[in-house]
Amino acid sequence: MHQTQTQHRSVGRRSMVALAGLGLLEAAVAQTGVVYLHAGGGAKHEERSVAEWLERMHEASRRRNYVGTLVVSSNTGAMSSARIWHACDGQQQLERVESLTGAPRSTFRRNDEVVTFLPEARVARTERREVLGLFPDLLKSSETSIPEFYAARRLGSDRVAGFVADVVHLLPKDQMRYGYRIWSEKKSGLVVKLQTLDHDHSVLEQSAFSELQLDAPVRVEKLSQMMAATGGWRVEKADTVKCSAAAEGWQLRAPVAGFRPVNCYRRPAPEGNMQWIFSDGLAAVSLFVEAYEPRRHQQEGLLASGATQTLTRRMQDWWLTAVGEVPPQTLKVFAQNLERSR
Amino acid sequence: MEQMQTQELISALADGQLRGDAFARGVELAASDPAARDAWQTYHLIGDVLRSGELAVGSSAPTVFLQRLQRRLQEEQPGMPRAPAVEAAAAPVHEEAANDGSFRWKVVAGFASVAAVAAVVWSLVGGAPDKPVSPELAKAPAGTVLSPGERGVMIRSPQLDELLAAHRQLGGASALQMSSGLVRNATFEGSGR
Repeated sequence: MHQTQTQHRSVGRRSMVALAGLGLLEAAVAQTGVVYLHAGGGAKHEERSVAEWLERMHEASRRRNYVGTLVVSSNTGAMSSARIWHACDGQQQLERVESLTGAPRSTFRRNDEVVTFLPEARVARTERREVLGLFPDLLKSSETSIPEFYAARRLGSDRVAGFVADVVHLLPKDQMRYGYRIWSEKKSGLVVKLQTLDHDHSVLEQSAFSELQLDAPVRVEKLSQMMAATGGWRVEKADTVKCSAAAEGWQLRAPVAGFRPVNCYRRPAPEGNMQWIFSDGLAAVSLFVEAYEPRRHQQEGLLASGATQTLTRRMQDWWLTAVGEVPPQTLKVFAQNLERSR
Repeated sequence: MEQMQTQELISALADGQLRGDAFARGVELAASDPAARDAWQTYHLIGDVLRSGELAVGSSAPTVFLQRLQRRLQEEQPGMPRAPAVEAAAAPVHEEAANDGSFRWKVVAGFASVAAVAAVVWSLVGGAPDKPVSPELAKAPAGTVLSPGERGVMIRSPQLDELLAAHRQLGGASALQMSSGLVRNATFEGSGR
């Protein structure tokens, strides 16, 4: 009310700014049905590019220690939560994720090294995830596709877990990927809430901290010790082997817009499959290929669970399972383009 | 009289003051005589209580406590077994260990139950939107623990779930949040049990 009066009284630049602010506010309401608080001098934040926003969010996760409870829910009604401890010392990042719903399980990650403790079976699984270290390079490299396929727009401010956050909308520029609405803590840039959005901006999946302690006294050494405490547990080492799709005899007829191959793994029998991983910097797609077995592989189709889509298809003597946090049509393009190279 | 000597000997043994023959005699006594064994346990209990401030809080002075304890000890029938309580508490641990062999089954069951939950929320392309597999399943909120019988109806296979998990582990790490794949796995994957 007061703002409207101010607008009427003043002329020129000031009212223009106020109007611009209102326009944005309307856009935010139209998209989400939620009114975001609008910070007075918010205009300058809107100029951050998608790469700048992402770099900021990524740096926060590399430089800040925190402890919090993360709640993940999907549009299907599934809800689950986990307690997260995150510590970093410049050299390494350590994370402990303790599931609070479902089967008890605690996962430790030191950079790309992962140990999962399954207390019910007294088993500790160890593995490496090279993909995890890729992101900074993806952003800095000149051939990065993120700004080419996503645009960033600041929607306003909101409060999550007691922290004031910038709300940023990452809009996909084509139909091959989902959009994201991201709540980035104002001072640090840490992502405190994330929504994956369909093309009509409906929420497919969201994760948010319900409670968060930023700069909590989490120590790298302490988490390291816990991660190494596998005594009394049966240690199972993941037997995935790095491979190349070309050597396995597979190629893409044409690249899928924005998606670059990032890794390829092979699992020995009994699974006996190849996992070829693609990423556009934000979303990932895995193509699993294994020998076709009529008894096991019956259901061709497309399945959805939250933001994760799955496509299954027979390709002559092979069975393809494509999985990714992308729209179904993207998986279809992958399936159409995948072919034997020998 | 003999009782007192036994207790003194055991007390000294518990305190680690015995050497040579005396030590051998103490150990033999503690091993053979039920009263001596009781005393042995009692002295350790006393030691525990004295060492732990928390346990001592609110109780009477150590001497009063000791007197009461000794009185109770003397009133007690010699040879009355004290161990069973401890053994009973330890028993479930042994059962757990005996279960080790069924680990594989547990993993399979874990995947299977996840599949059952997920089947509720998955729909086949081309078909009616969100056609429920069965009314009971449709009503069950996702994340609910389903009984083994309900696992029979599902579209998804354990193999498919393994692939989903593999995608989240190796490929599902989005640039937005390094741990997104981790958390999804830690939460959704385990939600069946």
